[in-house]
Amino acid sequence: MEFLADVFEAAFAFLGDSGGELARVVLLTLVVAGLATAIGVAIGVPFGIWLGLARFRGRGAIWTVVNVGMGMPPVLVGLFVLLLLWSDGPLGPLNILFTPAAMVIVQVLLALPIAAGVTAGAVAGLAPDAREQLDALHLTFPRRGAVVAKEVWPGVTAAIAATFGRVVSEVGAVLIVGGNILGETRVLTTAIVQETRQARFGAAVALGIVLLVIAFSVNGTLTWLQFRGRHVG
Amino acid sequence: MAERRFEDLRWPAEDPIVDIPELSVQLGERLIVFGPNGAGKTTLLRLVAAVEGEGGTPYASYLPQRPYLFRGTCRANLHLGLDTEARIRAEDLAVRLGVGDRLDHQAHTLSGGERMRLSMARTLAVDTPLVLLDEPLAPLDLRDREAVAAVIADALVGRSAIIVTHDRDTAAMLGDRMAVMIDGKIQQVGAVAEVFATPSNDTVAAIVGVSNVIDGKVIARRGALVEVEWGGHRFFALGDHPPETAVKVLFGGEAVGVHKEPMGESSARNLFPGVVSEIRETGRLAEIVIDCGSPVVALITPGSLDALGLTPGSEVHVSVKATAARAVAVGEAE
Repeated sequence: MEFLADVFEAAFAFLGDSGGELARVVLLTLVVAGLATAIGVAIGVPFGIWLGLARFRGRGAIWTVVNVGMGMPPVLVGLFVLLLLWSDGPLGPLNILFTPAAMVIVQVLLALPIAAGVTAGAVAGLAPDAREQLDALHLTFPRRGAVVAKEVWPGVTAAIAATFGRVVSEVGAVLIVGGNILGETRVLTTAIVQETRQARFGAAVALGIVLLVIAFSVNGTLTWLQFRGRHVG
Repeated sequence: MAERRFEDLRWPAEDPIVDIPELSVQLGERLIVFGPNGAGKTTLLRLVAAVEGEGGTPYASYLPQRPYLFRGTCRANLHLGLDTEARIRAEDLAVRLGVGDRLDHQAHTLSGGERMRLSMARTLAVDTPLVLLDEPLAPLDLRDREAVAAVIADALVGRSAIIVTHDRDTAAMLGDRMAVMIDGKIQQVGAVAEVFATPSNDTVAAIVGVSNVIDGKVIARRGALVEVEWGGHRFFALGDHPPETAVKVLFGGEAVGVHKEPMGESSARNLFPGVVSEIRETGRLAEIVIDCGSPVVALITPGSLDALGLTPGSEVHVSVKATAARAVAVGEAE
């Protein structure tokens, strides 16, 4: 018990003392996860709506690919992107390996299937009468998509929450393509790994608390939007 | 006359629910597709609306049987997919259909009947030459049906419509022509009264049920009855319509009595002389078509036919109990 008490005491001391370094890590975490979520949602949610409404032959194959993507181990995606961005790889000339840009790319790849899959699942649950009405209205796809997104709004917010949760908590892929370089590509999760490996448990717990606060703030906001969507608008 | 033709309405390819080689609707005509539940009527309409299969047209305004309102206000639902002009027409129609005061309410607060009226306003407001309505009066009670039918008829002036129903009153109120659909196929097409009076076979006869549909105008209300002017006769039928209302009166062939001599005092309110024009012996009963100015079909047993010694040309007297006849207001443009 004394050990845990010491760890937490050290954690709060760390939070009190740490200045610019922690702020940079938090800022980079928010920027990378925020960008990856925004891009993933902007592409994944419309795609999920399309997939959820689609009725053509072969849509099952696309569903399978999306479902596999939702469960894809991040280290595998990280390795794949590393190979692409490696100096001798096809995208080597971009010279972005071990930069935040590489981290955003890898997290967008992780985010897309989650955003698409959760949205498609919600859309697939639309009442048959709602689908019939949509077909009857002969709307353009953007208009149709907007109506559906509003109709399955709790599902869309769940997709956003799941997407953000995936990317903000992910460590394997960002570690591989980012490299956990202090002041450049270190984010909260990779920092926790670093501190833990060096047995600086107080700092690791402190970073964990910050990560939790971020997760609570973002998901709290999304839940409020989800709840609000159920009654108004 | 310009017409809209649909060919090879067949779905699904294997073991089709609907298999109609050709269906046509004239310009400005309201075609009823009449049939029992499970006949494939809704599937037919979905094929024509190009919601299912091929061969339909996306340029038709389609009202599904169970219209769905999306999350949001009634007004947002009313405006969905409409341009500015159509929105103005839709709001006007919503007022005439009795849901004008509900537009700022949330859509989920509406009753089934109100949902149908709101969706109908939107469907009719779309400026397409063809309108498709699936059981449009089903969620409404009879008194409301007549008022709604009048609004529909008015909105359809100059346009064609295909209206699916299993309800005889709806067919009489809204139909110009009627196609009887059984087991995925059209069995008979003709003017509404003609199909009711002369079903082409026993199956159609069993489905349409009512043999007689006569056109008239209400002269007066008499208690539970209305007195209807019909081809120079006075005809009493159940109804409570105000004078001058255009109505159709529906009654079955079994409600028609045929007599050789004029009847004296009788409980039957409707007594007319006529001449037998045709005798059809179909199955267990005989259908006698009697010309009373307009044709009336009587359904009698072969025994009665023999006893009366009827042949084409026989002079007879016809009685119809007023309580067996029902008047419905015709959906006419105002």
